[in-house]
Amino acid sequence: MVACVVGTDGPLPLAESARRLIAERCLKCHGGVRERGHLNLHGTERASRPAASGHRAIVPGDPAASELLRRIAADDADERMPPEGQALTDAERALLHDWIAAGAPESPHWSFVVPVQPDRPAEANDRWCREPIDGFILRSLRAAGLEPSPEADRATLLRRISLDLIGLPPTEDELASFLADAAPDAYERAVDRLLASPHYGERWAAPWLDIARYADTQGYEKDGNRTIWAWRDWVIDALNANMPFDHFTREQLAGDLLPGADDRTRMATAFHRNTLNNTEGGTDNEEFRMAAVMDRVATTWNAWMGLSMQCVQCHAHPYDDLAHADYYRFMDFLNQQADADTDDEAPTMPVTTAHGATSIPVLQELPQDRRRTTHRLDRGALTSPAEAVAAGTPPALHAFDDAWPRDRRGMAEWLVASSNPLTARVIVNRAWESLFGTGLVATSDEFGVMGEPPSHPELLDDLAVRFREGGWDMKALLRELVMSATYRQAAVRAGPGIERDPTNRLLWHAPRRRLDAEAIRDSALLVSGLLSRTMGGTPVMPPQPDGIWNVVYNGSQWTTSEGAQRHRRAIYTFWRRSAPYPSLMTLDAVDRATCTVRRVRTNTPLAALVTLNDPAFVECAVALAQSVDGLQPEAAIDAMWHRALLRAPLDAERGVLRSLYAAERARYEAAPADAATMAGDGDQAVHRAALTSVASAILNTDEFLSRP
Amino acid sequence: MMRHDLPSLHAITRRQFLGAGSLGLGALALGELGVAAPLLDGQVDPVAARSPHFAGRAKSVIYVHLAGSPSQLELYDHKPDLARLHGTPCPDEYLKGERFAFIKGHPELLRPLHGFGKRGQSGMELGDLLPQLGGVADELCLIRSMHTSQFNHAPAQLLLHTGEPRFGSPSMGAWVTYGLGCENRNLPSFVVLVSGQTPDAGKGIWGSGYLPGVFQGVQCRTSGDPVLFLNDPKGVDRAGRSAVIGSINDLNRIAADRSGDPETATRIAQYELAHRMQLAAPEAMELAREDAATRELYGAEPGASSFANNCLLARRLVERGVRYVQLFDWGWDGHGTNASDDLVHQLPAKCGQVDRPLAALITDLRRRGLLDQTLIVCGGEFGRTPVAEFRDGKRDFLGRDHHPHAFSIWMAGGGARGGHVHGETDDLGYRIARDPVSVRDLQATILHLLGFDHERLTYRHNGLDHRLTGVQEPARVVKDLLA
Repeated sequence: MVACVVGTDGPLPLAESARRLIAERCLKCHGGVRERGHLNLHGTERASRPAASGHRAIVPGDPAASELLRRIAADDADERMPPEGQALTDAERALLHDWIAAGAPESPHWSFVVPVQPDRPAEANDRWCREPIDGFILRSLRAAGLEPSPEADRATLLRRISLDLIGLPPTEDELASFLADAAPDAYERAVDRLLASPHYGERWAAPWLDIARYADTQGYEKDGNRTIWAWRDWVIDALNANMPFDHFTREQLAGDLLPGADDRTRMATAFHRNTLNNTEGGTDNEEFRMAAVMDRVATTWNAWMGLSMQCVQCHAHPYDDLAHADYYRFMDFLNQQADADTDDEAPTMPVTTAHGATSIPVLQELPQDRRRTTHRLDRGALTSPAEAVAAGTPPALHAFDDAWPRDRRGMAEWLVASSNPLTARVIVNRAWESLFGTGLVATSDEFGVMGEPPSHPELLDDLAVRFREGGWDMKALLRELVMSATYRQAAVRAGPGIERDPTNRLLWHAPRRRLDAEAIRDSALLVSGLLSRTMGGTPVMPPQPDGIWNVVYNGSQWTTSEGAQRHRRAIYTFWRRSAPYPSLMTLDAVDRATCTVRRVRTNTPLAALVTLNDPAFVECAVALAQSVDGLQPEAAIDAMWHRALLRAPLDAERGVLRSLYAAERARYEAAPADAATMAGDGDQAVHRAALTSVASAILNTDEFLSRP
Repeated sequence: MMRHDLPSLHAITRRQFLGAGSLGLGALALGELGVAAPLLDGQVDPVAARSPHFAGRAKSVIYVHLAGSPSQLELYDHKPDLARLHGTPCPDEYLKGERFAFIKGHPELLRPLHGFGKRGQSGMELGDLLPQLGGVADELCLIRSMHTSQFNHAPAQLLLHTGEPRFGSPSMGAWVTYGLGCENRNLPSFVVLVSGQTPDAGKGIWGSGYLPGVFQGVQCRTSGDPVLFLNDPKGVDRAGRSAVIGSINDLNRIAADRSGDPETATRIAQYELAHRMQLAAPEAMELAREDAATRELYGAEPGASSFANNCLLARRLVERGVRYVQLFDWGWDGHGTNASDDLVHQLPAKCGQVDRPLAALITDLRRRGLLDQTLIVCGGEFGRTPVAEFRDGKRDFLGRDHHPHAFSIWMAGGGARGGHVHGETDDLGYRIARDPVSVRDLQATILHLLGFDHERLTYRHNGLDHRLTGVQEPARVVKDLLA
């Protein structure tokens, strides 16, 4: 069956199953974009209208009169629907038959219905459970005949929460004090220490910068520099201060229009000034201003609603109930600002930061007498304006409250309204994805009909409702997730789960996964002792290969930073859209040209070459080796391993490392020039060079590169 | 050839990923990759070679992009009327509602600044600046009726290579690699070679967009490491690198046994591949291995950085199974603002750099029996205006502005129809008079030659099935271009 997903509480309702099947197999041709044969299967009412043939695809309650059922069962290949791909299965045909016989009831798409808090499952009383989420997880596991994995060991847990919450592994000192702390709340206090760390904001800003398409250049051909890092620091500060997400929303979308607007809230609106700016000769500023406005619409919808609006720019949404004019009504909120794709990026505002005075682009509302008239654009073309539209939100979603102003501020209120079925779910799902690798809704970038249904719908709703009603408290949300028994399981794949739930959607073990690009760089810097913990300020330029920046018409140079500036956290690296920092890109960072909700993780030989050969990583290996080179080889090897992985090597691992050291030592003894190149002059050069090879191997282990 | 329907396999994969299907190793990663089902059998290798929708004529593509856009009116599309009307004002009918990138005021027509002649058995009319290419005219399939919607470099280049004038969509090379995989697992499947500066749109035109990053083009550099970070650090020799990678993989095997994580097994395979690539890529990029006569044919010089070298490298790469080789050459934006971007000095100089290597590439592939399975495409991102630019009123140099309404692109080999001219422009070369070919039509045709139905080569992103040729303006395969 199409939509029978593990983790749900039984099969989906008939109407929901029918709607999903029709979306999957029919709407491409008979939906919002193409109404082939004048047939639109969006909703029972439209699907019941006579099509071009005169037949009615669906006659509610009358399967025999429903043309759709005849066509999906037709023997003649010219008649059979759908014309492409496999014919519908007997079960699928039976489903549609039963649905029509039942009167073709409509079921609203699950994510368009406001979540209500479900009852707590009985399993919540199980001794295993620590947090509200655990009962839901345990219920689904038991329904599949599975049990949770045992808890991970304490060192692993500390490494896990540290990488997850602040994007850095723990230091050996932090580990030692955690292991020495026998109090029952030691783990809880470690979590609270990390949530209070200023590095928390640096780690959680990174995914928000992807969403906000933050970069230090303007994009397009010239890709000239843009000074907007003060906004990046605003995000880090706001996250560290645990600004409630609804405020975080209001300030970034409408900080200039809030009742108590001040410089801090105004600078937050640089969020939507991260759009591309085209300064190429002869470009039509209005064309690119409009491109930026449309990008703001797309980004707003992706970021808060988890729905893609891009397609509605040109035509009605093919799958979701969003009309073409809905797009332009919403766009009117974002079409009344003063910025106009000019070279000077006006309007800007002066900002005083801890790192000195700067100036950043911000949003500024046009005065009443200069407001623009927004038109629906046929096929999204600037040259084809159709009727004028007024600001508003799609009727398929929750209502726009008349008490709100019909401007960006009202738009922000609409997004964080308690009547909004989506935003709270989208945000808690994203947090879940960050910690568990896959969201409860696996398509965290798509909550519409074409997205996947949640694996644990009640759990998602429980989290969303409590998040919203609890004051949109991000740290409290993350705290509950990492305090849970679900989160604390070991990451070992063994037992019946391998057969019954091979993709671990039920979370019968903790998910292991490769670290994000930033965390890989930052971890290597930390364990090698090189990391600079300085926060904020102008972007830095750590070493990168020559020739990356030979982009045209732009005289800017990559001037490699000096001293500790070379070793800042990855989030402070200068981000040129047309040529982003290459090692981070190879590790799946994104170019930040458009809103990215979800990075796709890859596992490629090019990534291996980065961590083996990128001079920045070689420098880390050299530094790690140097930090222990006063020790005898065996002790030095164990010390490096412990520093990086926070555990002693197993005997087998120790054997591999010692053999490597011996082989490299012999090689460098025979090639003293190589040893000197790697480790300088002096009688310890061979020892140090061989230790560097071992250090490089340690920094390339899957364990080091992964969140355990 | 096995029929292989990527979209439906994709759907099955997704369904199994989310359902209780029996997946083997790497299921989570593949759920993210969304690639075809055969890859699910243990070996998680998203770029393993696979079959397209039907038997294609071409197995690989060499796309030569002359960035900035050469003048079709000097090279491919002879308009004697421009000589006759030279210096007269452009007729008003063309200028109504027209926007130029740089021209202001009422422009005047500009004559062809270089001669033309009939070449080959087919009598194809080509510019005198490309004599050697004229020698292989019977291999060329010349489209004189290309048009685009974009008249600025970056958006036009993005449209040409990604199907969208904005950043964020996968490039054609990424799509082709997604669909076909790679036959040589020691080399990247999609290689980019740049002579001169990086094109205006930057690396987005060989990016993977919303496709997994593994499908993005890998820029091989002609100086320094051919692939970024390919060379071992100073002080590490091959034995040292082998020892380190061997140890990493031994350690990772111990870890895989303990955790049972299939991603660890994949990582072991990728480190082995990286190690092989460290040997294979420099070998493939080493022009000194070519005999003197071949180097002479192209005008290639080992150690230098040139378009000629890149053409020879392109042949070496497709010979080794690389699926898509993208060449960019800089310096074709002939506005005529000075001697380095005009049609009298600069265009002949640029043609002198590319004429011989392009002809050599065709000749060399032909004699090696590779031309029939290698599709070469060559052209800019738009055309040049039939009117002179005279920026800021200065008339010292002659040049033409950006022209989206009509331009020329040629193909050769790979199932394209040799000795054939498709389409026609009007007497002034301003607009298309017959058989227009849109950028998306060209893309659909290229995919067809590779064995893909462009409507079925799709990838689901943000809940929608995306494809190179978009969903709105219907693209079509131009049958007239097929041999």
